[in-house]
Amino acid sequence: MKIISYSFFISVGRSVRTLLYYLGGLASLTMQTVHQIFVPPFKGYRVMVQIKKAGFDSLPIVILVSLFIGFIFALQSAYFMQRIGSEMYIASLVALALVRELGPVITALVVAGRVGASITAELGSMQVTEQIDALEAFASNPIKYLVVPRLLALIIVLPILTLFADIVGILGGYLICVYKLGISSSMYLQVTFDSLLPKDLNTGLFKTIFFGIIIAMISCYEGFNVEGGAEGVGQSTTRSVVLTFIAIIIADCFFTAIFYFVFP
Amino acid sequence: MIFGKTKLELKVGIFVFAGLVILAFFVLSIGKFRTWTSGYQVSFLFDFINGVKVGAPVRFAGMDVGEVKAVGINFLPQEQKTQVQLYSWVKSGVKIPMDSEIWINTLGLLGEKYVEIIPGGDYSQCLEAGQVMTGVDPVPMHEVMRTAKGIVDNLNQTVTKINSGEGTAGKLLGDDTLYNNLEELSEDLKRHPWKLLWKTKEDK
Repeated sequence: MKIISYSFFISVGRSVRTLLYYLGGLASLTMQTVHQIFVPPFKGYRVMVQIKKAGFDSLPIVILVSLFIGFIFALQSAYFMQRIGSEMYIASLVALALVRELGPVITALVVAGRVGASITAELGSMQVTEQIDALEAFASNPIKYLVVPRLLALIIVLPILTLFADIVGILGGYLICVYKLGISSSMYLQVTFDSLLPKDLNTGLFKTIFFGIIIAMISCYEGFNVEGGAEGVGQSTTRSVVLTFIAIIIADCFFTAIFYFVFP
Repeated sequence: MIFGKTKLELKVGIFVFAGLVILAFFVLSIGKFRTWTSGYQVSFLFDFINGVKVGAPVRFAGMDVGEVKAVGINFLPQEQKTQVQLYSWVKSGVKIPMDSEIWINTLGLLGEKYVEIIPGGDYSQCLEAGQVMTGVDPVPMHEVMRTAKGIVDNLNQTVTKINSGEGTAGKLLGDDTLYNNLEELSEDLKRHPWKLLWKTKEDK
Protein backbone atom coordinates (compact mmCIF):
# COMPACT_ATOMS: atom_id res chain seq x y z
CA MET A 1 0.00 0.00 0.00
CA LYS A 2 2.69 2.38 1.04
CA ILE A 3 4.82 1.56 -1.99
CA ILE A 4 1.93 2.08 -4.43
CA SER A 5 1.13 5.55 -3.08
CA TYR A 6 4.81 6.53 -3.12
CA SER A 7 5.23 5.46 -6.72
CA PHE A 8 2.09 7.41 -7.70
CA PHE A 9 3.43 10.64 -6.23
CA ILE A 10 6.85 9.98 -7.72
CA SER A 11 5.38 9.62 -11.21
CA VAL A 12 3.30 12.80 -10.81
CA GLY A 13 6.35 14.68 -9.59
CA ARG A 14 8.43 13.34 -12.44
CA SER A 15 5.96 14.41 -15.12
CA VAL A 16 5.61 17.88 -13.56
CA ARG A 17 9.40 18.17 -13.51
CA THR A 18 9.61 17.06 -17.17
CA LEU A 19 6.98 19.63 -18.14
CA LEU A 20 8.78 22.41 -16.27
CA TYR A 21 12.11 21.42 -17.86
CA TYR A 22 10.49 21.49 -21.27
CA LEU A 23 8.85 24.89 -20.76
CA GLY A 24 12.07 26.26 -19.27
CA GLY A 25 14.12 25.06 -22.23
CA LEU A 26 11.59 26.48 -24.67
CA ALA A 27 11.51 29.84 -22.88
CA SER A 28 15.30 29.95 -22.70
CA LEU A 29 15.60 29.22 -26.44
CA THR A 30 12.95 31.88 -27.20
CA MET A 31 14.75 34.50 -25.11
CA GLN A 32 18.09 33.73 -26.76
CA THR A 33 16.45 33.91 -30.21
CA VAL A 34 14.81 37.25 -29.47
CA HIS A 35 18.17 38.53 -28.22
CA GLN A 36 19.98 37.23 -31.31
CA ILE A 37 17.51 39.03 -33.62
CA PHE A 38 19.07 42.32 -32.52
CA VAL A 39 22.70 41.18 -32.69
CA PRO A 40 24.51 42.18 -35.91
CA PRO A 41 25.34 41.15 -38.60
CA PHE A 42 21.83 41.11 -40.09
CA LYS A 43 21.54 38.71 -43.01
CA GLY A 44 18.28 39.25 -44.87
CA TYR A 45 19.08 36.57 -47.40
CA ARG A 46 18.61 33.66 -44.99
CA VAL A 47 15.20 35.06 -43.97
CA MET A 48 14.27 35.30 -47.65
CA VAL A 49 15.15 31.65 -48.22
CA GLN A 50 12.90 30.68 -45.32
CA ILE A 51 10.07 32.95 -46.50
CA LYS A 52 10.21 31.24 -49.88
CA LYS A 53 10.24 27.77 -48.29
CA ALA A 54 7.54 28.44 -45.71
CA GLY A 55 5.39 30.95 -47.58
CA PHE A 56 5.63 30.76 -51.35
CA ASP A 57 5.88 26.97 -51.42
CA SER A 58 2.95 26.58 -48.99
CA LEU A 59 0.63 28.70 -51.11
CA PRO A 60 -0.83 25.88 -53.27
CA ILE A 61 -1.84 23.70 -50.33
CA VAL A 62 -3.19 26.63 -48.28
CA ILE A 63 -5.26 27.79 -51.26
CA LEU A 64 -6.53 24.28 -51.96
CA VAL A 65 -7.50 23.60 -48.35
CA SER A 66 -9.21 26.94 -47.77
CA LEU A 67 -11.09 26.77 -51.08
CA PHE A 68 -12.57 23.45 -50.04
CA ILE A 69 -13.27 24.73 -46.52
CA GLY A 70 -15.27 27.53 -48.17
CA PHE A 71 -17.16 24.99 -50.33
CA ILE A 72 -17.93 22.77 -47.35
CA PHE A 73 -19.00 25.62 -45.13
CA ALA A 74 -21.38 27.03 -47.74
CA LEU A 75 -22.86 23.61 -48.54
CA GLN A 76 -23.31 22.59 -44.93
CA SER A 77 -24.93 25.86 -43.91
CA ALA A 78 -27.07 25.90 -47.08
CA TYR A 79 -28.68 22.63 -46.01
CA PHE A 80 -30.11 24.27 -42.92
CA MET A 81 -30.43 27.88 -44.06
CA GLN A 82 -32.55 26.89 -47.06
CA ARG A 83 -35.08 25.30 -44.74
CA ILE A 84 -35.59 28.54 -42.84
CA GLY A 85 -35.39 30.57 -46.05
CA SER A 86 -32.36 32.68 -45.23
CA GLU A 87 -29.75 31.64 -47.79
CA MET A 88 -28.70 35.28 -47.87
CA TYR A 89 -26.95 34.92 -44.53
CA ILE A 90 -24.68 32.08 -45.70
CA ALA A 91 -22.38 34.81 -47.02
CA SER A 92 -21.92 36.42 -43.64
CA LEU A 93 -21.58 33.04 -41.94
CA VAL A 94 -18.80 31.97 -44.31
CA ALA A 95 -17.03 35.32 -44.12
CA LEU A 96 -17.12 35.58 -40.34
CA ALA A 97 -16.09 31.97 -39.73
CA LEU A 98 -13.20 32.17 -42.19
CA VAL A 99 -11.81 35.55 -41.22
CA ARG A 100 -12.14 35.06 -37.48
CA GLU A 101 -11.23 31.42 -36.92
CA LEU A 102 -10.91 28.99 -39.79
CA GLY A 103 -8.51 31.04 -41.91
CA PRO A 104 -5.91 31.61 -39.16
CA VAL A 105 -6.21 28.18 -37.57
CA ILE A 106 -6.30 26.08 -40.74
CA THR A 107 -3.35 28.00 -42.16
CA ALA A 108 -1.39 27.59 -38.93
CA LEU A 109 -2.13 23.84 -38.85
CA VAL A 110 -1.12 23.39 -42.50
CA VAL A 111 2.10 25.34 -41.95
CA ALA A 112 2.80 23.45 -38.71
CA GLY A 113 2.43 20.14 -40.51
CA ARG A 114 4.37 21.15 -43.59
CA VAL A 115 7.00 23.60 -42.38
CA GLY A 116 7.29 22.81 -38.67
CA ALA A 117 7.94 19.14 -39.35
CA SER A 118 10.59 19.97 -41.94
CA ILE A 119 12.33 22.38 -39.55
CA THR A 120 12.50 19.73 -36.82
CA ALA A 121 13.71 17.06 -39.21
CA GLU A 122 16.34 19.38 -40.70
CA LEU A 123 17.72 20.67 -37.39
CA GLY A 124 17.41 17.19 -35.88
CA SER A 125 19.56 15.54 -38.52
CA MET A 126 22.07 18.39 -38.20
CA GLN A 127 22.15 17.74 -34.46
CA VAL A 128 22.57 13.99 -34.96
CA THR A 129 25.42 14.43 -37.46
CA GLU A 130 27.05 17.00 -35.15
CA GLN A 131 26.80 19.82 -37.67
CA ILE A 132 25.45 22.12 -34.97
CA ASP A 133 28.54 21.42 -32.84
CA ALA A 134 30.62 22.18 -35.92
CA LEU A 135 28.92 25.57 -36.29
CA GLU A 136 29.79 26.37 -32.70
CA ALA A 137 33.35 25.25 -33.31
CA PHE A 138 33.56 27.85 -36.09
CA ALA A 139 32.39 30.51 -33.60
CA SER A 140 29.09 30.82 -35.43
CA ASN A 141 26.05 30.94 -33.16
CA PRO A 142 23.63 28.18 -34.26
CA ILE A 143 20.67 30.13 -32.86
CA LYS A 144 21.60 33.20 -34.88
CA TYR A 145 22.29 31.10 -37.96
CA LEU A 146 19.38 28.63 -37.81
CA VAL A 147 16.56 29.74 -35.50
CA VAL A 148 16.37 33.51 -36.08
CA PRO A 149 15.68 33.31 -39.86
CA ARG A 150 13.00 30.66 -39.33
CA LEU A 151 11.27 32.62 -36.57
CA LEU A 152 11.27 35.87 -38.55
CA ALA A 153 10.12 34.11 -41.72
CA LEU A 154 7.19 32.40 -39.98
CA ILE A 155 6.12 35.66 -38.29
CA ILE A 156 6.05 37.36 -41.69
CA VAL A 157 4.57 34.45 -43.63
CA LEU A 158 1.62 33.37 -41.49
CA PRO A 159 -0.42 36.62 -41.70
CA ILE A 160 0.11 36.71 -45.47
CA LEU A 161 -0.93 33.08 -45.90
CA THR A 162 -3.96 33.75 -43.70
CA LEU A 163 -5.00 36.61 -45.98
CA PHE A 164 -4.80 34.22 -48.93
CA ALA A 165 -6.83 31.63 -47.03
CA ASP A 166 -9.50 34.22 -46.13
CA ILE A 167 -9.97 35.50 -49.65
CA VAL A 168 -9.91 32.06 -51.26
CA GLY A 169 -12.33 30.65 -48.69
CA ILE A 170 -14.75 33.50 -49.34
CA LEU A 171 -14.34 32.79 -53.05
CA GLY A 172 -15.24 29.13 -52.38
CA GLY A 173 -18.42 30.17 -50.57
CA TYR A 174 -19.14 32.59 -53.41
CA LEU A 175 -18.86 29.88 -56.06
CA ILE A 176 -21.27 27.57 -54.22
CA CYS A 177 -23.79 30.29 -53.42
CA VAL A 178 -23.81 31.92 -56.84
CA TYR A 179 -23.59 28.86 -59.08
CA LYS A 180 -25.44 26.30 -56.98
CA LEU A 181 -27.89 28.19 -54.78
CA GLY A 182 -28.59 31.00 -57.21
CA ILE A 183 -27.87 33.96 -54.94
CA SER A 184 -26.95 37.04 -56.95
CA SER A 185 -23.27 37.86 -57.10
CA SER A 186 -23.48 41.46 -55.92
CA MET A 187 -25.80 40.44 -53.08
CA TYR A 188 -23.29 37.86 -51.85
CA LEU A 189 -20.40 40.32 -51.87
CA GLN A 190 -22.47 43.01 -50.17
CA VAL A 191 -23.60 40.74 -47.34
CA THR A 192 -20.04 39.44 -46.94
CA PHE A 193 -18.45 42.83 -46.51
CA ASP A 194 -21.34 44.27 -44.52
CA SER A 195 -21.00 41.61 -41.88
CA LEU A 196 -17.21 41.87 -41.55
CA LEU A 197 -15.87 44.41 -39.08
CA PRO A 198 -12.28 45.67 -38.96
CA LYS A 199 -11.98 43.94 -35.59
CA ASP A 200 -12.58 40.52 -37.16
CA LEU A 201 -9.69 40.96 -39.57
CA ASN A 202 -7.37 42.54 -36.99
CA THR A 203 -7.83 39.84 -34.37
CA GLY A 204 -7.58 37.11 -37.00
CA LEU A 205 -4.27 38.43 -38.28
CA PHE A 206 -2.90 39.34 -34.86
CA LYS A 207 -3.11 35.82 -33.51
CA THR A 208 -1.35 34.33 -36.53
CA ILE A 209 1.82 36.16 -35.44
CA PHE A 210 1.70 34.15 -32.22
CA PHE A 211 0.96 30.95 -34.13
CA GLY A 212 4.11 31.66 -36.15
CA ILE A 213 6.16 32.08 -32.97
CA ILE A 214 4.69 28.85 -31.54
CA ILE A 215 5.48 26.84 -34.69
CA ALA A 216 9.04 28.20 -35.03
CA MET A 217 10.01 27.83 -31.39
CA ILE A 218 8.60 24.35 -30.73
CA SER A 219 9.99 22.98 -34.02
CA CYS A 220 13.46 24.42 -33.43
CA TYR A 221 13.52 23.31 -29.79
CA GLU A 222 12.56 19.77 -30.73
CA GLY A 223 15.16 19.80 -33.49
CA PHE A 224 17.94 20.89 -31.15
CA ASN A 225 16.98 18.25 -28.59
CA VAL A 226 17.11 15.17 -30.78
CA GLU A 227 18.76 12.24 -29.02
CA GLY A 228 19.96 9.07 -30.68
CA GLY A 229 20.08 8.61 -34.42
CA ALA A 230 17.56 8.57 -37.23
CA GLU A 231 14.92 7.10 -34.93
CA GLY A 232 15.33 10.06 -32.59
CA VAL A 233 14.78 12.46 -35.48
CA GLY A 234 11.51 10.68 -36.33
CA GLN A 235 10.31 10.77 -32.73
CA SER A 236 11.17 14.43 -32.34
CA THR A 237 9.39 15.34 -35.58
CA THR A 238 6.23 13.54 -34.49
CA ARG A 239 6.35 15.17 -31.08
CA SER A 240 6.98 18.59 -32.59
CA VAL A 241 3.91 18.37 -34.87
CA VAL A 242 1.66 17.06 -32.09
CA LEU A 243 2.80 19.69 -29.58
CA THR A 244 2.47 22.49 -32.14
CA PHE A 245 -1.09 21.46 -33.00
CA ILE A 246 -2.08 21.34 -29.34
CA ALA A 247 -0.39 24.67 -28.59
CA ILE A 248 -2.06 26.37 -31.57
CA ILE A 249 -5.54 25.20 -30.61
CA ILE A 250 -5.08 26.20 -26.97
CA ALA A 251 -3.62 29.58 -27.94
CA ASP A 252 -6.55 30.14 -30.30
CA CYS A 253 -9.07 29.43 -27.55
CA PHE A 254 -7.15 31.80 -25.29
CA PHE A 255 -7.11 34.60 -27.89
CA THR A 256 -10.81 34.18 -28.68
CA ALA A 257 -11.61 34.43 -24.98
CA ILE A 258 -9.50 37.59 -24.68
CA PHE A 259 -10.78 39.31 -27.83
CA TYR A 260 -14.47 38.50 -27.51
CA PHE A 261 -15.12 38.09 -23.80
CA VAL A 262 -12.49 39.89 -21.71
CA PHE A 263 -12.26 42.96 -23.99
CA PRO A 264 -15.36 42.71 -26.21
CA MET B 1 15.97 33.31 -67.63
CA ILE B 2 16.32 34.38 -64.03
CA PHE B 3 18.55 32.31 -61.77
CA GLY B 4 19.50 31.85 -58.13
CA LYS B 5 19.20 34.80 -55.84
CA THR B 6 17.11 36.94 -58.18
CA LYS B 7 14.63 34.12 -58.71
CA LEU B 8 14.29 33.73 -54.94
CA GLU B 9 13.78 37.46 -54.54
CA LEU B 10 11.18 37.41 -57.31
CA LYS B 11 9.18 34.65 -55.60
CA VAL B 12 9.33 36.34 -52.21
CA GLY B 13 8.38 39.64 -53.85
CA ILE B 14 5.34 38.14 -55.58
CA PHE B 15 4.24 36.47 -52.36
CA VAL B 16 4.53 39.56 -50.15
CA PHE B 17 3.06 41.90 -52.78
CA ALA B 18 0.02 39.65 -53.34
CA GLY B 19 -0.48 39.54 -49.57
CA LEU B 20 -0.41 43.32 -49.36
CA VAL B 21 -2.90 43.62 -52.24
CA ILE B 22 -5.33 41.29 -50.45
CA LEU B 23 -4.85 43.22 -47.21
CA ALA B 24 -5.59 46.52 -48.98
CA PHE B 25 -8.68 44.98 -50.59
CA PHE B 26 -9.99 43.77 -47.22
CA VAL B 27 -9.28 47.04 -45.45
CA LEU B 28 -11.00 49.11 -48.14
CA SER B 29 -14.02 46.80 -48.37
CA ILE B 30 -14.54 46.45 -44.64
CA GLY B 31 -13.88 50.11 -43.87
CA LYS B 32 -17.20 50.93 -45.63
CA PHE B 33 -17.89 54.15 -47.50
CA ARG B 34 -17.01 56.35 -44.52
CA THR B 35 -13.34 56.37 -45.52
CA TRP B 36 -13.90 58.72 -48.38
CA THR B 37 -17.32 60.27 -47.87
CA SER B 38 -17.86 63.08 -45.41
CA GLY B 39 -20.81 63.31 -43.09
CA TYR B 40 -22.12 64.92 -39.98
CA GLN B 41 -23.13 63.87 -36.47
CA VAL B 42 -26.70 64.12 -35.25
CA SER B 43 -28.51 62.42 -32.43
CA PHE B 44 -31.98 61.03 -31.97
CA LEU B 45 -33.82 60.80 -28.66
CA PHE B 46 -36.11 57.94 -27.76
CA ASP B 47 -37.80 56.74 -24.61
CA PHE B 48 -37.46 53.15 -25.74
CA ILE B 49 -35.18 51.83 -28.48
CA ASN B 50 -36.16 48.17 -28.68
CA GLY B 51 -32.56 46.95 -28.84
CA VAL B 52 -30.89 49.10 -31.52
CA LYS B 53 -27.19 48.31 -31.56
CA VAL B 54 -24.12 50.35 -32.45
CA GLY B 55 -23.63 50.02 -36.21
CA ALA B 56 -27.35 49.81 -36.97
CA PRO B 57 -28.16 51.56 -40.26
CA VAL B 58 -29.99 54.89 -40.46
CA ARG B 59 -32.40 54.99 -43.38
CA PHE B 60 -33.80 58.15 -44.89
CA ALA B 61 -36.68 57.60 -47.33
CA GLY B 62 -35.77 53.91 -47.33
CA MET B 63 -32.12 54.40 -48.28
CA ASP B 64 -29.09 53.70 -46.10
CA VAL B 65 -27.54 57.09 -45.39
CA GLY B 66 -25.64 56.51 -42.17
CA GLU B 67 -25.31 54.48 -39.01
CA VAL B 68 -25.59 54.60 -35.24
CA LYS B 69 -22.15 55.33 -33.77
CA ALA B 70 -22.95 55.16 -30.06
CA VAL B 71 -25.88 54.64 -27.72
CA GLY B 72 -26.07 56.71 -24.56
CA ILE B 73 -28.52 56.88 -21.70
CA ASN B 74 -29.66 60.17 -20.17
CA PHE B 75 -31.49 60.63 -16.92
CA LEU B 76 -33.60 63.78 -16.80
CA PRO B 77 -33.90 64.82 -13.12
CA GLN B 78 -36.63 67.46 -13.69
CA GLU B 79 -39.01 65.15 -15.50
CA GLN B 80 -37.96 62.04 -13.57
CA LYS B 81 -37.50 59.87 -16.66
CA THR B 82 -34.82 58.17 -18.69
CA GLN B 83 -34.14 58.81 -22.33
CA VAL B 84 -31.89 56.99 -24.74
CA GLN B 85 -29.81 58.99 -27.19
CA LEU B 86 -28.60 57.46 -30.46
CA TYR B 87 -25.49 59.30 -31.66
CA SER B 88 -25.56 58.80 -35.40
CA TRP B 89 -23.48 59.64 -38.42
CA VAL B 90 -25.28 60.77 -41.58
CA LYS B 91 -23.77 61.24 -45.03
CA SER B 92 -23.35 64.87 -46.00
CA GLY B 93 -25.80 66.04 -48.65
CA VAL B 94 -28.73 64.34 -46.95
CA LYS B 95 -31.14 66.97 -45.66
CA ILE B 96 -33.43 65.82 -42.87
CA PRO B 97 -36.35 68.22 -42.29
CA MET B 98 -37.20 68.91 -38.66
CA ASP B 99 -40.76 67.65 -39.17
CA SER B 100 -39.60 64.20 -40.31
CA GLU B 101 -40.95 61.19 -38.54
CA ILE B 102 -38.24 59.07 -36.89
CA TRP B 103 -38.94 55.62 -35.58
CA ILE B 104 -37.32 52.25 -35.08
CA ASN B 105 -38.09 49.58 -37.60
CA THR B 106 -37.25 45.91 -37.91
CA LEU B 107 -35.44 44.53 -40.92
CA GLY B 108 -35.84 41.07 -42.34
CA LEU B 109 -36.19 37.69 -40.77
CA LEU B 110 -33.65 37.95 -37.97
CA GLY B 111 -35.20 41.12 -36.62
CA GLU B 112 -32.29 43.48 -37.11
CA LYS B 113 -33.30 46.93 -35.87
CA TYR B 114 -32.62 50.17 -37.70
CA VAL B 115 -33.56 53.84 -37.53
CA GLU B 116 -36.15 54.75 -40.13
CA ILE B 117 -36.64 58.40 -41.12
CA ILE B 118 -39.75 59.28 -43.13
CA PRO B 119 -39.00 62.68 -44.70
CA GLY B 120 -41.20 65.57 -43.67
CA GLY B 121 -42.32 68.36 -45.99
CA ASP B 122 -40.77 71.51 -44.50
CA TYR B 123 -37.27 71.81 -45.94
CA SER B 124 -36.77 75.36 -44.61
CA GLN B 125 -35.73 73.86 -41.27
CA CYS B 126 -33.30 70.97 -41.54
CA LEU B 127 -31.34 69.00 -38.98
CA GLU B 128 -27.87 70.53 -38.57
CA ALA B 129 -24.71 68.81 -37.37
CA GLY B 130 -24.82 68.20 -33.63
CA GLN B 131 -28.55 68.77 -33.29
CA VAL B 132 -30.94 66.48 -31.51
CA MET B 133 -34.30 65.22 -32.73
CA THR B 134 -36.93 63.31 -30.81
CA GLY B 135 -38.24 60.14 -32.35
CA VAL B 136 -41.52 58.29 -32.13
CA ASP B 137 -41.15 55.43 -29.68
CA PRO B 138 -41.65 51.95 -31.03
CA VAL B 139 -44.47 50.05 -29.37
CA PRO B 140 -43.00 47.29 -27.21
CA MET B 141 -44.01 43.81 -28.27
CA HIS B 142 -45.82 43.05 -25.01
CA GLU B 143 -48.05 46.14 -25.46
CA VAL B 144 -49.04 44.91 -28.90
CA MET B 145 -49.77 41.48 -27.48
CA ARG B 146 -51.86 42.94 -24.65
CA THR B 147 -54.01 45.00 -27.05
CA ALA B 148 -54.40 42.06 -29.38
CA LYS B 149 -55.41 39.84 -26.49
CA GLY B 150 -58.10 42.35 -25.43
CA ILE B 151 -59.54 42.39 -28.95
CA VAL B 152 -59.51 38.62 -29.25
CA ASP B 153 -61.19 38.25 -25.84
CA ASN B 154 -64.02 40.60 -26.86
CA LEU B 155 -64.46 38.83 -30.16
CA ASN B 156 -64.53 35.49 -28.38
CA GLN B 157 -67.34 36.63 -26.08
CA THR B 158 -69.40 37.89 -29.04
CA VAL B 159 -68.93 34.68 -31.00
CA THR B 160 -69.88 32.61 -27.95
CA LYS B 161 -73.12 34.62 -27.58
CA ILE B 162 -73.97 34.26 -31.27
CA ASN B 163 -73.34 30.52 -31.16
CA SER B 164 -75.59 30.07 -28.14
CA GLY B 165 -78.38 31.95 -29.98
CA GLU B 166 -78.39 35.13 -27.85
CA GLY B 167 -79.21 38.54 -29.34
CA THR B 168 -80.47 39.54 -32.79
CA ALA B 169 -77.50 38.09 -34.68
CA GLY B 170 -77.70 34.86 -32.69
CA LYS B 171 -81.43 34.49 -33.41
CA LEU B 172 -80.86 35.28 -37.09
CA LEU B 173 -78.45 32.37 -37.29
CA GLY B 174 -80.03 29.91 -34.88
CA ASP B 175 -83.79 30.50 -35.22
CA ASP B 176 -85.46 29.45 -38.52
CA THR B 177 -88.85 31.17 -37.94
CA LEU B 178 -87.94 34.04 -40.26
CA TYR B 179 -86.96 31.55 -42.98
CA ASN B 180 -90.24 29.66 -42.66
CA ASN B 181 -92.24 32.87 -42.81
CA LEU B 182 -90.42 34.01 -45.94
CA GLU B 183 -90.94 30.64 -47.60
CA GLU B 184 -94.68 30.73 -46.81
CA LEU B 185 -94.90 34.24 -48.22
CA SER B 186 -93.18 33.28 -51.48
CA GLU B 187 -95.36 30.16 -51.82
CA ASP B 188 -98.45 32.28 -51.26
CA LEU B 189 -97.32 34.84 -53.84
CA LYS B 190 -96.63 32.08 -56.40
CA ARG B 191 -100.12 30.74 -55.98
CA HIS B 192 -101.89 34.15 -55.90
CA PRO B 193 -99.78 36.62 -57.91
CA TRP B 194 -102.73 39.06 -58.08
CA LYS B 195 -102.08 39.83 -54.38
CA LEU B 196 -99.17 42.04 -55.50
CA LEU B 197 -101.48 44.27 -57.51
CA TRP B 198 -104.57 44.06 -55.37
CA LYS B 199 -105.28 47.10 -53.24
CA THR B 200 -107.26 46.71 -50.07
CA LYS B 201 -110.35 48.79 -49.60
CA GLU B 202 -109.07 50.20 -46.31
CA ASP B 203 -106.34 52.14 -48.21
CA LYS B 204 -108.87 54.35 -49.87
